[in-house]
Amino acid sequence: MALRVPVNLRKNLSVVLYAFQGLSIVAVIVGLASLLLLPLDEYSRRTYISENALLPGQVHAYFGGSEQNIVRAFRREVDLLGNSTSDVVAERMAEIFRSAGLKVAKQRYSYKAAGGEYTGENVYAVLHAPRGDATEAIVLCAPWRNIDHLLNEGGVALTLALSRYFKRWSLWSKDIIFLISSDARAGPQAWVDAYHDLHGENIQSLSVKSGAIQGVVVVDYPGAYHRFESLHIIYDGINGQLPNLDLINTAVQISRDQMGLRTDLQEMWNHNDGYRHRLKTMLRGMVNQALGHSTGPHSSFIPYHIDAITLATHGDGWHDEGSLGRTVESVFRSLNNLLEHFHQSFFFYLLMAPKRFVSIGTYLPSAMLLAVGLTLTAIRLWVDPRSRSVGGDGGEVAKAEKTSEKEDLKSGKEGSGKVEVVAVDSGPKRELFLPMSIVIGVHFCGAIPFAVFNLVDYKSMASVFYVFIAGSVILPTLISVLITLTAAPHRLLPAFHLSRCFSLLFLGMFLSTLATLNFSLSFLIGLFSLPLTFARTTPKSIPLALVNSILLQLTSPFAALFAVAGYWGLGVEDILKEASFGWWVWGMWTPVIVWCVWWPAWVVGRISVDSSLVMAVMGKSG
Amino acid sequence: MPLFFTRGHQWLSFSPLQAFSRLVTFLILLTLADNAVADTYKEKLDLQPLSGQFLLASFNFQSHGPIEAFNKQMFQLFPRSLGQILQYTHTRELHLRFALGRWDSELWGAQPGDGQNAGGTGVETWAWVEADNDVEAEARWTSLNNALSGLFCASLNFIDSTRTIRPVMSFNPTGDYPTTNTSRLFLLHGSLPKEPVCTENLTPFLKLLPCKGKSGISTLLDGHKLFDASFQSMSIDVRPICSPNTGTCDIEIQQTVDMVLDISRSLQRRDSPVPRPRDQHELICDTSKPYASNEYCYPMDNSIDLPWSLSDLFGRTISGGCPFAVHNPAEEIPHVCIHAPESKLNTMETGEFAVSALAEGQRDLQCYMLRENVPFDISFPKQQPPISPLRQEPLLYAERSFTGHGQEHGGVKTVLRNPNPNDAIDVVYLESLPWFMKPYLHTFKARLLPAQNPEEDVISELYYRPALDRKRGTQLEAKLTVPPNSVVILTYDFEKAVLRYTEYPPDANRGFDVASAIITIPPQRRRSDGKQITTTSIRTTSLLLSLPTPDFSMPYNVIIFTSTIMALAFGSIFNLLVRRFVAVDEVQRMDLKAKIRGLIPRLKKGKTE
Repeated sequence: MALRVPVNLRKNLSVVLYAFQGLSIVAVIVGLASLLLLPLDEYSRRTYISENALLPGQVHAYFGGSEQNIVRAFRREVDLLGNSTSDVVAERMAEIFRSAGLKVAKQRYSYKAAGGEYTGENVYAVLHAPRGDATEAIVLCAPWRNIDHLLNEGGVALTLALSRYFKRWSLWSKDIIFLISSDARAGPQAWVDAYHDLHGENIQSLSVKSGAIQGVVVVDYPGAYHRFESLHIIYDGINGQLPNLDLINTAVQISRDQMGLRTDLQEMWNHNDGYRHRLKTMLRGMVNQALGHSTGPHSSFIPYHIDAITLATHGDGWHDEGSLGRTVESVFRSLNNLLEHFHQSFFFYLLMAPKRFVSIGTYLPSAMLLAVGLTLTAIRLWVDPRSRSVGGDGGEVAKAEKTSEKEDLKSGKEGSGKVEVVAVDSGPKRELFLPMSIVIGVHFCGAIPFAVFNLVDYKSMASVFYVFIAGSVILPTLISVLITLTAAPHRLLPAFHLSRCFSLLFLGMFLSTLATLNFSLSFLIGLFSLPLTFARTTPKSIPLALVNSILLQLTSPFAALFAVAGYWGLGVEDILKEASFGWWVWGMWTPVIVWCVWWPAWVVGRISVDSSLVMAVMGKSG
Repeated sequence: MPLFFTRGHQWLSFSPLQAFSRLVTFLILLTLADNAVADTYKEKLDLQPLSGQFLLASFNFQSHGPIEAFNKQMFQLFPRSLGQILQYTHTRELHLRFALGRWDSELWGAQPGDGQNAGGTGVETWAWVEADNDVEAEARWTSLNNALSGLFCASLNFIDSTRTIRPVMSFNPTGDYPTTNTSRLFLLHGSLPKEPVCTENLTPFLKLLPCKGKSGISTLLDGHKLFDASFQSMSIDVRPICSPNTGTCDIEIQQTVDMVLDISRSLQRRDSPVPRPRDQHELICDTSKPYASNEYCYPMDNSIDLPWSLSDLFGRTISGGCPFAVHNPAEEIPHVCIHAPESKLNTMETGEFAVSALAEGQRDLQCYMLRENVPFDISFPKQQPPISPLRQEPLLYAERSFTGHGQEHGGVKTVLRNPNPNDAIDVVYLESLPWFMKPYLHTFKARLLPAQNPEEDVISELYYRPALDRKRGTQLEAKLTVPPNSVVILTYDFEKAVLRYTEYPPDANRGFDVASAIITIPPQRRRSDGKQITTTSIRTTSLLLSLPTPDFSMPYNVIIFTSTIMALAFGSIFNLLVRRFVAVDEVQRMDLKAKIRGLIPRLKKGKTE
């Protein structure tokens, strides 16, 4: 009896179609709603220390007193060097480290991206663990200039002072590396690449090395003013990878509970732990994750499976270098306790307050549901009879239906013992060649903007970008005109239909895969691609086609680029420069995904919408 | 037996039983003295200040005894426990190393004793075992390790076939074998890089000494101080030595402890166990800085050598000489020597001692001979300006590290640097890898910096024994030449095997340690100055290999939970499906005969079909 269902469905396909349409809408709505539910107490969890060996805040931190006099003196030294070239700085830093009795080495690097050259010289010192065997290391890093190009006076001075202070302890089980990178973006990347011998040509190898790096703490304490109010913990890594949650929890617990220091996340300075603030923190985290860019020197370490965070000072309060020094000391004592690499807690999470998070199991469904919505639409398009080229060989359909009816009768006579084979997929053939070649061709075209924006100079970036916008506005119309002109009229509608189907199928598949790696990017692209699910070829309704076309324009990758540029208050060319820099220096994959996955899907969507206009104009509406 | 006569006066105060046992020993020794030469024992402590406020303390304990007595199990000073193990396992020569920390050759120069007494991190052992064939040698090697494991409280029993290699070029016997057929001697080498060397290894080590750490220089060996050292290595070498003149053979046991103490850290620990920030007035600030004030202090380099004494660094003084090592003053074997490069070296000694005449000629050396039961201490006052300790340039610098990242592949990079501007140096590089680290031999390359023209192959000989999964590890031995003033970079790639889950150690999964590479510089003559180089060993640091590791707790819980639920669900559903529930009176009484009778026609029917 069950076998009758496909027969019924075949006869009454609209049930299937509506069901799928309904399902995909429900999927999208549920996906969006579930994301908005996450900040609620019922869906998020309090953070906790999973790795018991860390014992955060269980030891007394002694840094302070006369050590602060040394920090102040080093501050003056850093101040004196303020505008010197990086080799002068490196030499002076090396001198200070050497006088503390550490092994010192320097590293020059040079990157080329977007027509610019990024050079500098890192300097680092290795404190051998007194009884250690050079198998493990932890890194304390201070960029000479922080991510906002401010002189990191306090951070560098504190690192220098801590290097002397740590040397007096004999309890270190891991080597400690003190790294002063020449900037916050390229320097740490050059250093960590060279540490793993995976560096490019213009980057020097490291002459002094230690063991496997277990954790990194970056100190960002810019400005000449000593006092600060709170500690900003920055944790986003490149390509949206995150450090182990235990490291963040350790830092939060130590600074809040042991040092009485407020901690902030994602630049939310007045977090009241209410719904709105939690949501805002989470969304800001998602934007950073989706962009996949470096948010501090720590970001470069994370792709190497090295857990890293930046501790940045913020505001004007009563805490001074002693508090920060003790925090760093206590975090290092915890890292020193680690028996194994960070593995216990979460690597996939969204933080919404310093002590509240959701893990992948809770948030993943929302991105998955968006992707599922796209896939369901693709399946609906495939099942839709409009995907078959009916016009040319209508006779065949009738024949096929007749034969199947005969078979039905025959099988009825045969009795219930035999299995009834009914092909659901009978009927006229789908013409696959044209839609396939459209989709594949457009996806290949995605390599063009990717290559162009990675090779073009910063100066000409903006003009190239506007030319490219114009090009990709015209391109879909051109393609649809070309197809409308060349292809047989009865094949047109199915071709556009199927190309949309394939494109959505690919996008859905890709986004669901991406969701497991970079949830936020997948979610945001899924959100922007929502119009693709309903922007279809409507040759009979030109107003609808126009509305769809405008909607697609508003949710295009370009619109997203402008939105991001607006969010950061930068020009589009700066964002493109950042993307190019990201690709060449950090190995950032976001541009690949935007140009080779999202942009082609958008172009195919535009083709199917534009074609309705074209067909209406040419009178080929079938 | 001058030894016993000089000590005779002590006997008066003993209890009768002790006196009796002493008497028996005395009589036995007297009888022995007629036909055999007694064992001799020497001990020596060398103190050598190193640059960067470090002090190298090398303890050397050596005893000789006739091999005939040893073979007859007549042990005098040779430790009986070790001797019996060696005889039982037919071990002719044994080398055992325990090491912790790393030797910083950049700062401290060449290792003491040409690195012959140092081992790789953890435990390393190699021995020449006499046997008829390889299988027997292997069996004896295993029982040797098991016995040593018990003796030294170390996990030496984990040196199984996967951790055992048979070096071809790196090691040569150091003993003399005039009577043994050398083809019956098998060299086996094993290492345990992960073994943490600690107090429980030191105690049995001291027990082997004739004075057992109760007197003599070994009183300084306290676990707390020894294992706080920046570098620490203990070694035991047993070998036969034959005199070429008389043809008589001795068995020699040499125990050494090399430790590098960080003087400032040791002294600070004495003052306060926690390195709290110093008081403001204790800071040494650079007052020449323009901003120098109460608030700002640019720390000065230490312009003075910290004053120290043995009792400061070791927490105790030497409690007199070991009676076995206190010889006739005419023999002139010093017990404690301190090296310092300048003649104005200023030391202060307390206790009774004799200044050894041996050091008279050498300006940079002061030696002392200890007296029995008289404590001895040296103090080294503040040296201003600081003395710059003599640093002997090592023959070769070696450094090894992993390259790449990820859980599947990796690479190893070894940098060998020859600092000598004139002479090339021949070295043998030995790598013993665990079986789960599978090197690709085709990627084994040597690169020379600066590059030479024409490109010359630096590797002259290569011995490679591939790994067998779970049976033996890889052994890679390469003979190569490092040209003067240049760097050879050896690289190879490897693949990480996936272990079975029971093969992971039960403790916290920090990773797997890969044993140090052993770099041997065979004896050779320098071309430029004709100076003979003796065999020198250098060991790199060990490496930490991270393998793909399952999160044991999580899948395990999931598997257990789901399996339980599956079992419960399957069990009950299967039960419901298969079992027919009937009332008791409904059950048909089955007759066996009737059943068989019923079967026959069915079978027949089946056949006809």
